[in-house]
Amino acid sequence: MSTNGISTSQRPELVSDSLPQERPGWIEMATSSDHKDVGRLYVGAALSFLALGLLQFLLIRLQLAVPENTMIEPVTFNRLLSVMSASLVVLFAVPLAIGLFTYIVPLQIGARSLAFPKLAQLSAWLYILGGATLYVSFVYTPPEAGFNALPPLSDTAFLDNNGVDVWITAVGLSALAFTLQAVNLIVTISKMRAPGLAWRRLPMFSFSASVSSWVMVVAGPAMLAALTMLFIDRHFNGVFFDPQESGAPTYYQHLSWLFFTGCYLLFIIPAAGAISEILPTFSRKPLPSRGAVAASLVAIAALGMLAWMQNMFTASIPVGFLYMAMAAALLLIVPLGILFANWLGTLAFGSIEMRAPMLFALGAISTLSVGLLAELLHAVVPVNWLLADTTDATAASGYVFVGGAVLGGFAALYHWFPKITGRTMGESLGRASFALILLGAHVTFLPMFLAGLEGQPVDVYKYFDTGNLGVLNLISSLGSLVLAAGIILTLVNLYASTTSGARAGHDPWRGESLEWLALSPPPPHNFDVVPDVRSAEPMRDIRDAIRDRRASPRAAETPDRAVRRSSAEADTVDEPESGEPVA
Amino acid sequence: MLLALTGLLFLLINGALIALAMRFRARRGTDPRRIHTRPRATFLLGGMLATLAVIIFIAGVVVTENASDVEASGSEGLQAASSRTAQRDIALPSGDVEPLQIQATGQQWLWRYEYPDGTFSYYELVVPVDTAIVVNLGSTDVVHRWWVPGLGGKFDAVPDQSNGTWFKADETGEFDGATYQFAGASGAAMRTKVVALSVEDYEAWLEQQATDIQEAQEFVQAEVEADAANATPEGSNEESP
Repeated sequence: MSTNGISTSQRPELVSDSLPQERPGWIEMATSSDHKDVGRLYVGAALSFLALGLLQFLLIRLQLAVPENTMIEPVTFNRLLSVMSASLVVLFAVPLAIGLFTYIVPLQIGARSLAFPKLAQLSAWLYILGGATLYVSFVYTPPEAGFNALPPLSDTAFLDNNGVDVWITAVGLSALAFTLQAVNLIVTISKMRAPGLAWRRLPMFSFSASVSSWVMVVAGPAMLAALTMLFIDRHFNGVFFDPQESGAPTYYQHLSWLFFTGCYLLFIIPAAGAISEILPTFSRKPLPSRGAVAASLVAIAALGMLAWMQNMFTASIPVGFLYMAMAAALLLIVPLGILFANWLGTLAFGSIEMRAPMLFALGAISTLSVGLLAELLHAVVPVNWLLADTTDATAASGYVFVGGAVLGGFAALYHWFPKITGRTMGESLGRASFALILLGAHVTFLPMFLAGLEGQPVDVYKYFDTGNLGVLNLISSLGSLVLAAGIILTLVNLYASTTSGARAGHDPWRGESLEWLALSPPPPHNFDVVPDVRSAEPMRDIRDAIRDRRASPRAAETPDRAVRRSSAEADTVDEPESGEPVA
Repeated sequence: MLLALTGLLFLLINGALIALAMRFRARRGTDPRRIHTRPRATFLLGGMLATLAVIIFIAGVVVTENASDVEASGSEGLQAASSRTAQRDIALPSGDVEPLQIQATGQQWLWRYEYPDGTFSYYELVVPVDTAIVVNLGSTDVVHRWWVPGLGGKFDAVPDQSNGTWFKADETGEFDGATYQFAGASGAAMRTKVVALSVEDYEAWLEQQATDIQEAQEFVQAEVEADAANATPEGSNEESP
C-alpha cells in the first residue's frame, strides 16, 4: 500500500502469519472491481481494437486504391469490412467512452467507487469476451454480413456459416456490457455525488456520461432484441424477419439502426463532454453558460435517437415517418449550434495554453463541424435519396468518427492520462500525432465526398474506373496512411509515457473539478477527505483558500492540511478574483 | 443552396475557431475575462437556428412531395398506356397519358427488368426518351437498393414488399447505375445501365428483344428435348437442365 508520503514509522507494526500473497499486477487488475482498474481495462481493450480495426481499414483502403483491384478476394474483403466496422464502432468508440467514464466519473463527483463495482467488472469482461469472440473467429469463419448484418442476407439461406453467429455473439455481448455499465453510471452519478455537488455544478464530462448512459440504456436492449430474433430466425426456424411469413427485414433495420444511432451519438456526446472540460481548463475561464451546454447534450441525445430512421429513407416506409426523422435530424442544428457557440465563447477573452489536450479538443471541434454539417445535408429526404450509401455517407460518418471518437477521445486521454498514470504524455509526439490525424482525415475523406457525388457505392470490394474515381480513391488511400500514422503515434506515445512520461503531480493542468484533488494515480479509496462542493469549480475555491491562507499570518499549516480544511472555508471566499496567480 | 449554407456555417465555425485560438493566447499575457451569457442570448441563438431548421424542413417536404408526383410524359415520349396500380407514395398523373411501368427485380447479383408486354432484359434497362418511367422494385432474395445517378433517388428492393420510384430521361444516352446495399460476396459487380432511346428505336429494340428471347427459348427447349431423348431409360441421368 502506498503511504501517500505519510511516515509509517510511528504506526504499530502489523504481524500476521498469513499475509496476502503478492500477486502479479495483471492478476490484480484482471480480478479487481475497483472502477479505476475496470476503466483501464476498458480503455486498454478499446485502444487494442482500434489498432486492429485500423489495420483492416488500411487493407481495405489498399484494395480500393486502384479500380477493379483483385488483390483481396470479395469474400475476404467482406469479412474485413464486417470485422472492421464492428471493431471501430462497437469495440473501440463506445467502450473508449465508457472506460473513460468509468475511470473519471467517480473521481469527478467525489465518490469512492461506482454504485455497483462488481457489475462494472462483469461488464468489462463481457465486452472483452465479445471482442475476443470476434477476433478468434479469424481462425475459422469471420462474419461477412456487412455493417449491420441485415436479413435476409444474414439468414441461413444466404450465409450458412458461423460468421453471422460470431457477429451476433460479439455485438450482443458488447451491447449487454454497455447497457449494464450504463445503468451503473446512471446510478453512480445520481446517488453518489459529493455533498454540495448539485446537478447544476456537475462537471460536464460527468454530465455527458449520464446522458450517454441513458442513450445506451435505450439503444443497447433494442440491439439485444434484434440479435435474439435474428438468432432465432437462423437456428430455430423463426420468421421475425422473413417476408414470406409476414415478417419483414424492415423490423430489423429499425432495431439495429436504433442501436447504431446510439453508438453514433456516443461518438459525439462523450467527446462534447470532454471538450467542455478541456476548453475551460486551458482557456482559464468557464463555459459561457453551463446550463445551455447541459441542455444541448440532453437535446442531442433525445433528437438524435428520434432520428434513427434517417438511415432508412430509401426503405419502403410511409413518408410521414420520413418527415418525423427529418424533423428530428434538422432540429439537431439547435443544440449543436448552441454547443459550438459556447465552445467558441469559451475561447473568446480567454488565456489559452496550447497544450496537447487543447490541440486535440480544437481539432475535434473543427473535424466534428465538417462531419455534422455533412450529416445536415443527409437529413433532408430528397438529398439523402441521392447521397445515401455512396462514399459521401462514409465521408460524413468518417469525419464524425475521427472528430468525436478519435480526436475527442484522444483529447480526453491526453487530458486525464496524468491522473491515470501520474505522468504526462509526450507533448511533441502528441503535436505530431495531432497534425497527422487532422491532415490524414481531410485527405482521406474529402475525396470520398467527391467520389460519392459521382456515385461510388459504399462497402464494395471494387469499383470501376468511371469519371475521376481512380484518382479520388488513390488520394483517399494515401490519406488513410497519414491518418493511421497519426493514430499510431498517439498509441506509441501512450505506451511509452506510462513508464517514461514526465511526472505530473496531482494537478498538472490546474483543472477545476474534483478529480484533480485526488493523487495521481489515485489510491484505491480515491480521496482521504471528500470536500464540500460550493460551486461548479471546487478546485478553484480550494486554490483560492490556499492562497488566502498563505497570505494570512496563520500560514504555518502545510498546504495539505489547508486543502482538507478549505472545503469548510470555501464559502467564506467571497468574490474570487478573475485572474489566477501564475504558478 | 443547402450546400452553400453548410459551406457558410463551416467557414463561420472554423474561421472563428482559428481566429479566437490565435488571438487569445496565454503568452500574450492577457488575463482571462470570465463571461457568463444570459439565458436570453441562448434562446435568441436557439430561436434563429430553429427557424433555419424549420425553413429547411419545409423546403425538404415540398421537394419530397414534388418528387413523388410522377411527371407526365413529354411530347417526344411514348404515348402508350399500361394498367398497373401505383406504388406506395407515388402519385400517378391524372389524364390519359400514363407512365411506362417497369418491374425491376434485384437478385444476387443481377437486375432483371420486365416490360409491360412481358419482354424482359438483364443488366440493361432500355427506355424511351422523354417518357415518365415508373420503376416498381422487388427482390427475389436479399435487400437490394437501386440507383442510377442522374435519374432520381435511390430506393430499396425488398423481397415481398412493394417500393418504387420514377424517372424521366430528357435526352437519349446511357446512364450507369449500381446496387447501393451490401448484398453479399459479389455485390460490387451488381451494376446496371439505363439506355434511353428515341421512341422508334425503343419499339424496335423491344420487338428485337422479344424475338431474341423467343429464339433463345426455342433453342433451349430443343436442347432439353435432345437431352431427354439421349437419356438412359433407367433414369440415372436425373439432373434436370
